[in-house]
Amino acid sequence: MNTVAAGMPLGGVIFMTIFIAIFGYILIILARLIGGRRTNNSQVKRDIYECGIPVQEKRETKVSVKFYLTAILFILFDIEIIFMYPWAITFKDFIGSGQGAFVFVSMLVFIAVFIYGLFWEIKSKALEWD
Amino acid sequence: MGNDAFEITINLIKLVAVFLLIVQAVPILVWVERRGSAFIQNRFGPNRVGPLGLLQLLADAVKFLTKEDFAPDKAIKPLFYAAPVFALIPAALAFAAIPLSVPLEIGGYVFRIQGYEMNVGIVFILGVSGLAAYTILMAGWGSGSKFSLLGALRASAQVISYELALGLSIVGVIMMYGTFNLTEMITAQQGAMKFHAFGYEITSRFLPNWGIFYQPLAAILFFAASFAESNRLPFDLAEGEAEIVAGFHTEYGGFKMLMFFIGEYGHMILGSSLMIVFFFGGYGLPGITVDEVRSWAAGVTDGAAGASVLTTLIHFLSFTVKLVLFLWIFIWVRWTLPRFRYDQLMDLGWRTMLPWALGNTILTALVIYFTSVLI
Amino acid sequence: MITDVLMFWFLALVVLGSGLAVILFTNPVYSALSLVMAMVGVAAVFVTLGAYFIAGVQLIVYAGAVMVLFVMVLMLFDLKRETHSFAAGKISGALKLISVGLFAGLVVGGIVMSQGYFVKENEKSLGAASATQSVNTVAGSQTNLNVVNTDNTKVLGTVLFSKHVFGFEALGVLLTVIAVGTVALARSKGGTHAKH
Repeated sequence: MNTVAAGMPLGGVIFMTIFIAIFGYILIILARLIGGRRTNNSQVKRDIYECGIPVQEKRETKVSVKFYLTAILFILFDIEIIFMYPWAITFKDFIGSGQGAFVFVSMLVFIAVFIYGLFWEIKSKALEWD
Repeated sequence: MGNDAFEITINLIKLVAVFLLIVQAVPILVWVERRGSAFIQNRFGPNRVGPLGLLQLLADAVKFLTKEDFAPDKAIKPLFYAAPVFALIPAALAFAAIPLSVPLEIGGYVFRIQGYEMNVGIVFILGVSGLAAYTILMAGWGSGSKFSLLGALRASAQVISYELALGLSIVGVIMMYGTFNLTEMITAQQGAMKFHAFGYEITSRFLPNWGIFYQPLAAILFFAASFAESNRLPFDLAEGEAEIVAGFHTEYGGFKMLMFFIGEYGHMILGSSLMIVFFFGGYGLPGITVDEVRSWAAGVTDGAAGASVLTTLIHFLSFTVKLVLFLWIFIWVRWTLPRFRYDQLMDLGWRTMLPWALGNTILTALVIYFTSVLI
Repeated sequence: MITDVLMFWFLALVVLGSGLAVILFTNPVYSALSLVMAMVGVAAVFVTLGAYFIAGVQLIVYAGAVMVLFVMVLMLFDLKRETHSFAAGKISGALKLISVGLFAGLVVGGIVMSQGYFVKENEKSLGAASATQSVNTVAGSQTNLNVVNTDNTKVLGTVLFSKHVFGFEALGVLLTVIAVGTVALARSKGGTHAKH
């Protein structure tokens, strides 16, 4: 049986990425060529958006630490979730080979630690936005 | 990528076709969205250009193309221009990995109706669609405006928060099917619903063997999370007009704006397709297996090729109908529910959906373990 | 196979090019974005090695999570001073040149010195290599390939949950400790969310 896309689909992914990038840039260049261009460019037009007052320069951005915290906690929980995937895919096999209870309990311990972490975050109000 | 030049060419054309499928779906969706919202809000919507306002799309495209290409002084030009282009990529790459129909068998060749077959389909799709956060950040920072930056910050925090619930809600699904492969998942959902209980095999007469009946909680969580991933209402805090103008695309206009639109609708299409594949039987007809359809098609047409084409067409149509239904739900929800507040959004993601998804995982594992032990 | 070789060189070019870009850009945001590109390239290299799940993990965790944090943090800081100090100055310029030279030397040295090694390894494991290659190139049937590749992840899971289960649990504890520590640091004195 002949199959299409046998083996690595990597070539397809790379081709598609490059194709879309070229396609997008061509569209932008096309829009640039077709779209008009006014010669009279005032400073107000070239400024960034502001709500009807002179542009307020952003000096120092002070952003709530919650955003960083969210990102860091996301990394940690993401890694924990990724580790559940090989477990999920092999769980039925383990049950078939009679090791189901052991694997199930070992994952329960892992999830218990996970839940403890999550519960601690919730209790410490780290995930509370005001 | 195939064995000879002919196959490789077909494959590359297929990839282009999948991308164009998304791109051409966008104007239609925009039209449906505008007419649909008008219908929901008891107004007319676009109805001047062409019959039912259908040519409005064309007029919009011409308008977008003839707009002046413009970047503000403060913008960082390379990123400002790169962001809309990269916004097209993640959704299209992920969508290409979804099987849209039964493989077509003509003259010794087998053509899959999907961009490329990924044996770790889910992991690939999650990984690629996670890269969408960069386009938002690039656009927000590249614009050089504080509204854009704040919008990008909010949007990326929201996207990554809901990625957790998204990833965790499908652990139960993976456990149930025992595979990452999307085609195998669809195969497992064919036919009527049947399960083993107390030594008997029970076959339901009217329920299809779809994932939603086994994983209802996961389906709800996944659907909610895919709303948040595509930045649509009620999760469109990224562009809360009342607070931060238009979020990360405040400074964009004309065609670049349209490309962000295509990205957003691409994520919508991707979320609907994944929902269909995981919980609604993929391209399968409800309650009928692919083999039954194939034998029926062989009876109707003459020749193996004709039967194969008919089977593929029927299943593609089935997928399309399901996709349209889900896209309509996306639009319906957008024009029905109000927007969340930011703290409510984060609360929902971290303190409601994450624990529920964990509970679903444990429950699924328990049920699978005890059903296999007891029966 | 010629396509495999081409693919390898293409990916090597992408990874090394973006790696070089990381140290050559003066703007830290561009450096971080190049690092994302390098991570994606490494994920693609994993795919060529047949480690599909690891490639996915690389994409999700490194490219999708860790680098998002980096890029986010860099974009929010006012980087004018850093950009300036990176862009100007004889000492930093010299340091940059030296580091690029060292990097290039390491790469070239690695390639040159590893050539003999790999040839020997190839000769040793010629049998095994040709066996796997026949599986990959014949492409007799998609299903066959699928079985091979799915088993790859399944083998990983089996080993992880039978042999290395203790390490796995320890990792869970470690991740929780990091999470708790992060929050504790964020709430310590002087922060915007310090305890009252």
